[in-house]
Amino acid sequence: MNKQSLQKSAASGLVFGIIVIFLALIGFTVVFSGLIQKVLGQSLGVGQIPRIGNFFIFLGFLGIWNGWRAARQDSHESLTLPKVLLRAFVAGLSAGVLVMVYAVVVGGLDARGVDMRTYLSMLSSDSIKFFLFNQSVAMGGLIHVGFSTLMAVVGGLLAFGSEKSQEQVKATRTKVQNWSQRTWLGKVQGNPYVSYVLMGVVLLLLVLLPRTWGAYWNYVMGTVGIYVLLGLGLNIIVGLSGQLVLGYVAFFAIGAYTFALTTSPEPHNLVWNFWIALAVSVVAAALSGVLIGLPILRLRGDYLAIVTLGFGEIIRILLKSDLLKDFTMGPRGVRNIAGPTLFGRSFTSDVDYMYIIILAVLLSVFLAKRWQESSIGRAWLSISQDETVAQATGVDTYKYKLLALSLGAAFAGLGGALFASRNQFTGPEDHALMVSINVLCLVIVGGMGSIPGIVLGAFVLKGLPEILRELESYRLLVFGALLVVMMIIRPEGLWPARRPKLERPVEPDQEPAAVAITVGGKQ
Amino acid sequence: MKKSVLFFVFVVFAMILASCNGAAPAGDTSNGDSSGGDTTSAVPEVCASDAFGCAVVPAGQTVKIGMGAPLTGDYASFGVDISQGAAIAVKDAGTVEGFAFELVAQDTQGAPEGGAAVANKLATDPTVVAIAGHIFSGSTEAAMPIYDKAGLPMMSPSATNPPLTTLGSKVFNRIAFTDAVQGKFAADYLYNKLGFRKIAALHDGGAYGQGLADVVQAEFTALGGEVVGYEAVTPGETDYTATLSALAAKNPEAIYFGGYVAEGVVLANNMKQSGLENAVFFGCDGTFGAEFVEKTGANGEGAYAASLIPPQSEAKLKFDADYLAAYGVGAGTLSPYTWSGYDAAAVLMAKVKEVAVLGGDGSLYVPRGALVNAVRTTSGFVSITGDVTCSDVGECNTAGPTFYIVQDGDWVQAEK
Amino acid sequence: MEALRKKIPLTLPQNSIKIIRIIAALLLLALVIVRAIDVAAESQFGADTWLRLSVSGLIIGGMYALIAIGYTLVYGILFMINFAHGEVMMLGTFGGYFVFEAFNAIQVTATDGTQMSFLNANPVIAIFLAFLMGMTIAALSGYFLEKIAYRPLRGAPRLVPLISAIGASIFLQNAGQLLFGPQRRQYVNPVVLDRGIGWNLELSGSTVVLTYTGIFSLVLSAILMVGLYLLVQRTKLGRAMRAVAQDKKTAALMGINVDQIISRTFVISGALAGAAGVMWGIHNGLFNYFVGFLPGIKAFTAAVLGGIGNIPGAMVGGLFLGIVESLGPAVLGIDFQLKDVIAFSILILVLIFRPSGILGEALSEEKV
Repeated sequence: MNKQSLQKSAASGLVFGIIVIFLALIGFTVVFSGLIQKVLGQSLGVGQIPRIGNFFIFLGFLGIWNGWRAARQDSHESLTLPKVLLRAFVAGLSAGVLVMVYAVVVGGLDARGVDMRTYLSMLSSDSIKFFLFNQSVAMGGLIHVGFSTLMAVVGGLLAFGSEKSQEQVKATRTKVQNWSQRTWLGKVQGNPYVSYVLMGVVLLLLVLLPRTWGAYWNYVMGTVGIYVLLGLGLNIIVGLSGQLVLGYVAFFAIGAYTFALTTSPEPHNLVWNFWIALAVSVVAAALSGVLIGLPILRLRGDYLAIVTLGFGEIIRILLKSDLLKDFTMGPRGVRNIAGPTLFGRSFTSDVDYMYIIILAVLLSVFLAKRWQESSIGRAWLSISQDETVAQATGVDTYKYKLLALSLGAAFAGLGGALFASRNQFTGPEDHALMVSINVLCLVIVGGMGSIPGIVLGAFVLKGLPEILRELESYRLLVFGALLVVMMIIRPEGLWPARRPKLERPVEPDQEPAAVAITVGGKQ
Repeated sequence: MKKSVLFFVFVVFAMILASCNGAAPAGDTSNGDSSGGDTTSAVPEVCASDAFGCAVVPAGQTVKIGMGAPLTGDYASFGVDISQGAAIAVKDAGTVEGFAFELVAQDTQGAPEGGAAVANKLATDPTVVAIAGHIFSGSTEAAMPIYDKAGLPMMSPSATNPPLTTLGSKVFNRIAFTDAVQGKFAADYLYNKLGFRKIAALHDGGAYGQGLADVVQAEFTALGGEVVGYEAVTPGETDYTATLSALAAKNPEAIYFGGYVAEGVVLANNMKQSGLENAVFFGCDGTFGAEFVEKTGANGEGAYAASLIPPQSEAKLKFDADYLAAYGVGAGTLSPYTWSGYDAAAVLMAKVKEVAVLGGDGSLYVPRGALVNAVRTTSGFVSITGDVTCSDVGECNTAGPTFYIVQDGDWVQAEK
Repeated sequence: MEALRKKIPLTLPQNSIKIIRIIAALLLLALVIVRAIDVAAESQFGADTWLRLSVSGLIIGGMYALIAIGYTLVYGILFMINFAHGEVMMLGTFGGYFVFEAFNAIQVTATDGTQMSFLNANPVIAIFLAFLMGMTIAALSGYFLEKIAYRPLRGAPRLVPLISAIGASIFLQNAGQLLFGPQRRQYVNPVVLDRGIGWNLELSGSTVVLTYTGIFSLVLSAILMVGLYLLVQRTKLGRAMRAVAQDKKTAALMGINVDQIISRTFVISGALAGAAGVMWGIHNGLFNYFVGFLPGIKAFTAAVLGGIGNIPGAMVGGLFLGIVESLGPAVLGIDFQLKDVIAFSILILVLIFRPSGILGEALSEEKV
């Protein structure tokens, strides 16, 4: 048996052991077991420790995954049963032993009455006992070893089974594809009426859903919609014209505050009409884009990024400063921001806002698509591909970059105004750096330069944390991890643009490491 | 392109149409839960007459007390701490008609946006009957209109922005006293009791701290004193020597600080090396608590703070012991508001017990409108923070603050 | 659309833009000088205050510089902003803290027979081990960060690793909160390094304290920076790092293991961040899981200010930023709340007139 592959299995097992220990240290084992219990339909009181059985389910998943990974460490070779079993066994055993060591240490300390929560806040006595399956220290550790090994072997077997059946699956899939091509799908594709029907369905959903799914989802989806607006705007700047802007929130804040200050009775008592204020906010944001862009657009890459980040922070600090307290209400924020009115009627229920946001999104998608496909869009594209070449071929790069910044800012202004109006309140804390980062993330997670990608990205970035609410304190932890995983699995975004990649990777060569290892590891 | 224009026009029309036929507020998913009203015998009569209808908790489920708190982000310690305090209240509350209580703490990240999202989420859950929160004023303000629609009474442990109770909300109440009350008392104490004539006012740039510093500045000047410096620090930093050095050049006798413990500790620690070794640090209820003493050590001696927590009472001692046992850290080390969190939840649950009715079908019926009124008319509820009696706008702490001073490494009540 | 395009008359000749820029710069400079003279004439602050402000600026600038070097090293090699660098520093802060806590709990008998904690009996060892621990933990986390979150993205578009870094930053921050709790903690220093005490200088009638912790941090960061400079300039590893930064492909052909060098770069930058973290703890005391966020942003700013990718640039940028933050509001006579506004404005001005930072190479425009 290959010694190296066993070492690899052991190493991957140790990684899994570390993961289990980490999850135990942050108390996730208890919370997740509780979630499993809730999903299985059993109730769980506050502060109650879930049943041990659910912990086994949780550990079982991890163990199977461990075995699976250990078995399939090299995709090129064909698997044999003894090889798979041995690898899975080794991985499971090493993970189990590591976890046992941890369990014995922690359990032993706990048994001696040491309260570890002073330093590791989640290690209460209850959770440690839970981790030891309510058994004695030695017994609990042994159960961990045994269960981990068993599950890893199961995982290995599953991997083996799936490997064998994969050929079959592939064959079936092509068969199904061929069949569907020949029959209905082939006919449907390219039929103009189909797209009308699809549009109709989308229309129906857009009209009906806000009325049916209740205030909470209207709120969440409204936020998603506003982030779609922001994403479309930033996409023009980052995705199309290739300028990295990290202070996008500045324009969002300018839109929101312009709207707030012109419609609120306090502090200026300018109770403007909703639509006028909305237009003014958009224009103000676009103008600020020009003003900010004029001096700084000569900068490139990360220099531009940090300068715009600085602008975002400057705006936020000024908004909450004592200096402008009488003008912006300082940290308290502006309240009583007006809602939309039309023909003397006011539309301020959550359903109305949802509709307004949907309209704004549709309008923006339409505009963004037109710009993207126009000659302006091609100029942007050329700038983002290579600015020097673009300039050399006669594109006025400065002008187009400025245009991109102000148009992108206008979207942010619209988003900000709708945001302020919907919440009827806005304060400096709504315009923190994290907004810029979230918007940038959604553009890239969705796929740079791709409009459907941005819509999808907004759902992921603003919808996912809401869905993860059940995880309470753990939601951002999981969210951060998912962000990393998403980027690794799909670096080009969830729904990449169809055009060639907008940005040239810095490092075109694929695997310099492979060369290096053969040439000689140490210098 | 024609196609998409057509589509767009379609959508506009459809929405206007949809919007016109009766714009019923969609907060009512939680209100109209008397859908089980076919079996009239099961539903208590109060539900029919109640303005918001009844919350129905089916047998086997829990009566939920919601809370909007920052559980992640840089103010997580406040949210975690207050929700832990409230969780102890839930444990202490026992049951109502055989139904257990449950605390549902949701993460707002302390921002208005998060506050509104949480409010919408909690208002959608039919078994949430009351809200012990929210924690920060901005988040609270964004949440208020939503709870107003849904008829969920609020009892905030720590939203102190004065105008919150003047916005005409029926559901909003708070245990914390407002910045206006505290600032006035503090200015008076500084001027009359401690005899200072030249102070500097500092705040942390937040709504809470700035509100306090403003009131103190105005009141202290009105009393005849002089506020020689007024500055703000950036929250979250750990070195304020620059700001303090600039203030020191104006020789204030005391530094009034409006803000939270984290910045308060840094300020108290930095005063000596900034040339303010002779000035007195005077904090607010945000800087009170065990953490300040623990982290300032000798630098904190002689510092003042205000608090709504009266000196050691039996209820407080019991709570402190419970908290330590449950969470492994002393009460007050995470934030100065955990006691208020306990009380807010305790008041709400006491009121739920008053109004809840067991229906004929084994479900628990909680008339929402009656609960809102019951909370607003709370009177003489005695707990850790003393006597909780709500005014008709929802100010439930009518007593002024108690002033404390650090002596020999502990907060003791200062001369009245 | 075509009509819209024609209507935008923004084709100012390049020369006039340059002239406008120079005039604007001169005007701004004149304004600042007038304002500063104005403030100085009021003589609000004595020499003591100015000294205090400068010292506090230098100390914080030194820490910024150490963290900024981490950004710059990684940027120089991978052209990516390691957004999670601040969190690496946070882990280092915790590492040092636990060493101090452990030594504080151990009681030993000193030579004169009194009982004291190990921390006070052997402060040098304790401090050394705290730094060792903090730097090791931070270096390890830097190593794994690269391995898990960045290496699979080698060759992806430039912004993708940035998002991965943001994800990692969110993850680590929350992991820190969940592991160690949301409460703030405080370093218990050995008595010799007590916070707030130091050399007293009498200056214009009041005492200026040069704190031991501050001077210690400043000296240590200077030593580390010099050490790093020597490492990069004089050693084989440094040469390899520079080679990889120049051209990965050619470096690989020259027999350099590129992946290994990148890993080591992350280890070094992590170790420096860890050292900065422990210093942060020793000097400022208070910290929690969020401690890395603000210094991270500031240090990144400092790195760009100095010219990103340039190690002396990071040092200069860090010190410059620290001093501007501390002295800026006093010089201009405005609220200290606005110190970040001043810092960022200076950053913007510097970059407008020197688009690749104070010490940045002229080439970097093309490189980025």
